[in-house]
Amino acid sequence: MIDAPPQTKSKLEVKGVSVRYINKRTGAETIALDDASFSVGSGEFVCIVGPSGCGKTTLLNCLDGLRPVSGGRILVDGRPVSGPGPDRAMVFQSPSLMPWRTVLKNVTYGLESQGVAASEASERAQKMIDLVGLSGFESYHPGELSGGMQQRVNLARALVIEPEVILLDEPFAALDAQTRELMQAELLRVWRVTKKTAVFITHQISEAVFLADRVIVLSSRPGRVKAIVDIDIPRPRTLEIKHDPLTNQLERHVESLIDSTLTAEQIFAAAGD
Amino acid sequence: MSVTQVNIPGIVAEEEAAERPAVRRKIDRSERTRRIVRSAVSLVVGVLLWEAIARLVVHNDAFLAAPSAVAKRGWEMILNGELLSNTWVSMQELIYGFIIGAIAGIAIGAAMATWKSVSDYLEPWIAGLYAAPMIAFAPVVIIWFGVGIASKVAVVIMMVVFPMIINTQAGLESTDRRLLTVARAFCASGPRIFRTVSIPSAAPFIVAGMRLAVGRGLVGVVVGELFGSRAGLGNIITTASSVFDMPTLFVAVVTLAITGVVLTYLLRAVEMRLAAWREVA
Repeated sequence: MIDAPPQTKSKLEVKGVSVRYINKRTGAETIALDDASFSVGSGEFVCIVGPSGCGKTTLLNCLDGLRPVSGGRILVDGRPVSGPGPDRAMVFQSPSLMPWRTVLKNVTYGLESQGVAASEASERAQKMIDLVGLSGFESYHPGELSGGMQQRVNLARALVIEPEVILLDEPFAALDAQTRELMQAELLRVWRVTKKTAVFITHQISEAVFLADRVIVLSSRPGRVKAIVDIDIPRPRTLEIKHDPLTNQLERHVESLIDSTLTAEQIFAAAGD
Repeated sequence: MSVTQVNIPGIVAEEEAAERPAVRRKIDRSERTRRIVRSAVSLVVGVLLWEAIARLVVHNDAFLAAPSAVAKRGWEMILNGELLSNTWVSMQELIYGFIIGAIAGIAIGAAMATWKSVSDYLEPWIAGLYAAPMIAFAPVVIIWFGVGIASKVAVVIMMVVFPMIINTQAGLESTDRRLLTVARAFCASGPRIFRTVSIPSAAPFIVAGMRLAVGRGLVGVVVGELFGSRAGLGNIITTASSVFDMPTLFVAVVTLAITGVVLTYLLRAVEMRLAAWREVA
C-alpha cells in the first residue's frame, strides 16, 4: 500500500524540490520543504496531508509557480514550471473573490487575462457557474453569498480556464462540518465531469481519503514525502462510503503515518546524540 | 453541461441561500424618506428662527440680515447677473484647481504606493504640509501669481493635492494581498493587476478623498479671493463687509454653502455607486 510505483504517464512531476527561507531580521534559515519527490498521473486526484507547518501550502504555491523553488524541479507535461501559467489553476484557501465584481465577472477573471473574447468568456463562465450549482446567482456580489457559495465561485474561477492541473489549498477548511461534506461530494462530482488532474491539500485525513486516488503524507518540518498511500475505494463515491470499514481502515492507516512522524524524528534525534 | 446535480440529492445552492438584496432596498427607501423629511423640517425651523431673531430681537440690517432680506437681495443679484457671473468666476477657480490638484494627487499617491523610495523622499514634506494650515500661504500665492484667476487656482491646488495624495496612497496600500496573489496566479500582467485589483480597491478611498478635497478647495477659493481678487464670491464678501451690506454678504455665503453641499452630495453619489458592493458586504 505504501510507496506505489511511479505512474508511467505523469502529468505533474515533482523532483527533489526543496524550499528554504531566510528570515531577513535574524538571518536564520528555515527549510520548509526538503527533497520532496512524487508524480501525479493524468486525471488523477492526489491529496497531500501532513501536520500543520509542514510546508503543504508552500509546496502548492511552488506547483502554481507563485513561489520559486530553492532546489529541484517541477514539471507539467515534461515542461518545467517557472511561473503561473494557464496549464495550472489554483483554488485558494480563502475564497479571495474580488468584492466589486459579480459572480460572473469573478469567474471570467482568468479568461480576461488570457485575452478570451468577452462573449466567449461569459458563455464559458456561465457553464461553470451552472456546473458548480450557482445558476441564478451570476449577478450577485461575493458579499451577498455564504462561505460555501463563495468557495463554489472560487472553484468555478479555476476550472473555467480549463487547466491541465487544478491545485486546491484546503478550500473547505473554513466551512462548517456539514457544508464541508457537501462541498467534498460536489467537488468529486465536478471533478468527474471535468476530468482534471487534481492536487488537493488538507490536514483532515477523512477528507483526503474520501477524495483521493492517492494520499501523499508529508512529514513535519522540514516537509519530506513520508509515504504515499493508494486509496482503492471504488468510484463514484458518495458520502455514505465515509462510514465504510475500508474507508475507516485507510483513515487509521494514514493517521498512523502522520502520528508516527514526530516519534520517528525523536528516535532519530535520540540516536544521533 | 446538464450533468449538473445528478447524484447527491439536496445539493443545490439554496442550501446556503443568501438574503436577497431587493428586500433590503425596500426598507432603505422608507427609511430614506423619513430622513429627508427630518432634514427638511430642521432647515425650515432654522430659517424661521433666524427670521424671527432678525425681525424681533436684532432689528439691525447691518448686524444680521433676515432671510427674507437676503432672499430679496439674492433675487436682485440674479436678475442683474451679478450673482451668476461672480459664482462662475469662483467655480472656474475651483474646477481648474480641483482637476489639476486631484490628478496630481492621484499620480503622486500612486507613485508613493508603488515605489518605496518615492514615498521615503516625499513623506516628510507631505506630512508637514498636510498638517500645516495651507490657507496661511494664500497671501504669498497672491503675491506670486497676482490677483487674477491663476493665484486662486494655485491656492485650490494646494488645498486639494494633499488629501488626494494621502487617500490614494492609503487606498492602494490597503489592497488585499490575497487578491494580488489571485491576479498573479491567473497570469495577469503588472499593469493589468494594477487596473483590475489595485484601482478598484482604492477607488472608494480616492472618491472619499475627493469629497474631502472639494470642501477644502472651496475654502481655498474664498480665502484666496479675500486676499486679492477682482471678482468671485469671496470678492463679494470683502466688498459687502467693508460697507456693512449684510444682505449681499449673506447671499454670497449662502451661495457658497449651497455649492459646497451640492458638490459633496454629487461625490457622495459617485462614492455610493463605486462602493455598491461594500454595502452588501
